[in-house]
Amino acid sequence: MIPALEARSLSLVRDGTTVLEDVSFTVAPGEIYALLGGNGAGKSTTLLTFLGFLAPSCGSVLVNGRAVAEDVDGARSAIAYLPEAASLYGHLDAYENLGYFLDLAARKVSRAAMDEALDQVALPREARGRRMQSYSKGMRQKTAIALALLRDTPILLLDEPTSGLDPVAIDEFHDMLKGLADAGRSVLMVTHDVYGACQVADRVGLLRGGRLVGSFEAAAGERIDTETVHAAFAAREAA
Amino acid sequence: MSAGLSIAREEWRLWARSRVVLLAGVIVAVLLVVTSALTALRVADEAEARAARQASAEATFLAQPDRHPHRMVHYGHYAFRTPPPLAAFDPGVDAVTGQSIFLEGHRQNTAMFADARAGADLGGFAGLTPANIYQLLLPLLLIIIGHGVLLRERESGTLAVLLAQGQSALTLAGGKALALAGVVGAFLLPVTALAAYGAARGEPALTAALMVAGYGLYLAVWAALILAVSLWVRQRSVALGVLIFVWLLTALVVPRLGINAGSAAIDAPGKIESDLVMLAEQRKLGDGHNAADPAFAALQKQVLEQYGAEKVEELPMNWRGVVAGYSEKKLTDLMNQYAEKRMAQEAEQSRIVTLFGFASPTLAVGAASRTLAGTDLATHHRFLREAEALRFDFVQGLNDLHATKLTFADDAKRSADPEAEKRTRVNAAAWRLLDDFRFVPDPAAARAARAALPLAMLLGWLVLLGGAIVAGARRLRP
Repeated sequence: MIPALEARSLSLVRDGTTVLEDVSFTVAPGEIYALLGGNGAGKSTTLLTFLGFLAPSCGSVLVNGRAVAEDVDGARSAIAYLPEAASLYGHLDAYENLGYFLDLAARKVSRAAMDEALDQVALPREARGRRMQSYSKGMRQKTAIALALLRDTPILLLDEPTSGLDPVAIDEFHDMLKGLADAGRSVLMVTHDVYGACQVADRVGLLRGGRLVGSFEAAAGERIDTETVHAAFAAREAA
Repeated sequence: MSAGLSIAREEWRLWARSRVVLLAGVIVAVLLVVTSALTALRVADEAEARAARQASAEATFLAQPDRHPHRMVHYGHYAFRTPPPLAAFDPGVDAVTGQSIFLEGHRQNTAMFADARAGADLGGFAGLTPANIYQLLLPLLLIIIGHGVLLRERESGTLAVLLAQGQSALTLAGGKALALAGVVGAFLLPVTALAAYGAARGEPALTAALMVAGYGLYLAVWAALILAVSLWVRQRSVALGVLIFVWLLTALVVPRLGINAGSAAIDAPGKIESDLVMLAEQRKLGDGHNAADPAFAALQKQVLEQYGAEKVEELPMNWRGVVAGYSEKKLTDLMNQYAEKRMAQEAEQSRIVTLFGFASPTLAVGAASRTLAGTDLATHHRFLREAEALRFDFVQGLNDLHATKLTFADDAKRSADPEAEKRTRVNAAAWRLLDDFRFVPDPAAARAARAALPLAMLLGWLVLLGGAIVAGARRLRP
């Protein structure tokens, strides 16, 4: 099976500093892969290489089996990207935001389809007509996920998606991600939340100083052991 | 709907929902309405005053009884330059140079009716014209509205989302450019209305349309600069600082540098100073009122030879009138020589200042605006030349009467002999020699040709900034 995402010996040097070094991993269709690491580990940089915003100095990144360097438009059309701060327009309501981004993506979507996607992410109906500047971060995340659903992309790249969310919102978000993965979408999320990563991901990669220093996988029907990952994370960070 | 139009439409929706933008728009609208009204009122007021003065002067002149023609030389009359319709938008140099000249013998008077009251009315507010608002304030407003046009997207993270979903950076920049073009279009509505009003009052359609196009080009330059800066810097506060700095430099500093450079390069004394210098040379020409002045000895010899006469009494015309006409001609040549030199210096200074338009779009649009409005220095100089030609014809007409209608004998003893004095009076019907002077603005094509260089400067700026926008868009990253 062709991986949805693949990093092959990915290295990146910026301004003389090695940001990523020989990073290799794959994300299969329907899989949630969490890239874990501290600040400056290279997590967000890895995401940006999949989007073609940063070109690898060495190695390559592939989306659905095609090198991003060769087909950046194809890669971007397959990916929905959620930056750390769920980025939508505060002066627009949920419908207007969805309509705008979908319009630019050349997708015509009815109000009913928007409602269906917003129902799926459990955004309260009474909030949908309000300007987004009054939304909580969780509500903005939900709307951004609804946008990904409506764009119908097979791959989601999430940058610190649960940072700033309360525990209930995090649980809701994780449930939503699992549902998306069950529906066949691949998710690559970068986070420094060990517990959250172990809760939701099928596999966890541990990134430190631009190198992938550990990989953890859940046994069938079980979750990744948080204690093990935490110990590895803490040990590596201490090192 | 194309992506670029969608992006522009979204930007317009943001601005429409922004109180800051709406407030700024209201302020500009009020300023434009007030300045347009004040400028139009002032222009109408001055036109009325000029017309009254002209009517009064002409009535006084024509009401003169039978007189000695030389006395009429000093009654004189006015030459007026009625401001063209677009002067209500851009009074240009008229506010400084004046628009009417009192024409009389032996002197070239300074133009009058300069806008000396500006500054007294409403504490100087009357000095702010619609053209000033377009040249100085609207770029500032564009900066306030547009400096975050792309950086807002970057800072809020929506730029990353847009680019990540495959939106081309060039299309994004194009959409933002279209959004800013929409604001420029809205800003052009008042000048379009004023130009249309001008056209309805006789302004050629070409100059009226070029006036709108010139300001459209100027504001487009600012919009392009704003977009380029928004593409090349990474923080909104930095972009705002850079744009304000550029505004200060190009709208306030460079124009003054240009003026200083013009003054330093070309030392042009004003009319009063050059008149004082001219006085010394003028004295050498002799006194035209005194036919026995040695300065006219050579002329006397030549004329006597020409007519085979021994003395001036034998000439078939009045020698005093001949001397008056000759003297006026010599004096006028001298005055014109000084005037032409002064005007050439002023024109060269103006040319140097206009060349600074390569460094300041504000200077470029100002030059184009004055030229198209017919309120530039070249138009004023043509008015001075035409008024002087009128003055010369008028004075020489009276000198001809002096030479041909009066006998030398009567003229020589008129102070002592009341009968002779009566015979030196010319019938008042002759005072109708006044030409009906009408100053016609340059044809539209001529004004357009003169405005071509500053307009080309603006176009150059736009092309340059267009290149910076394309280059900035190509390197755009979240």
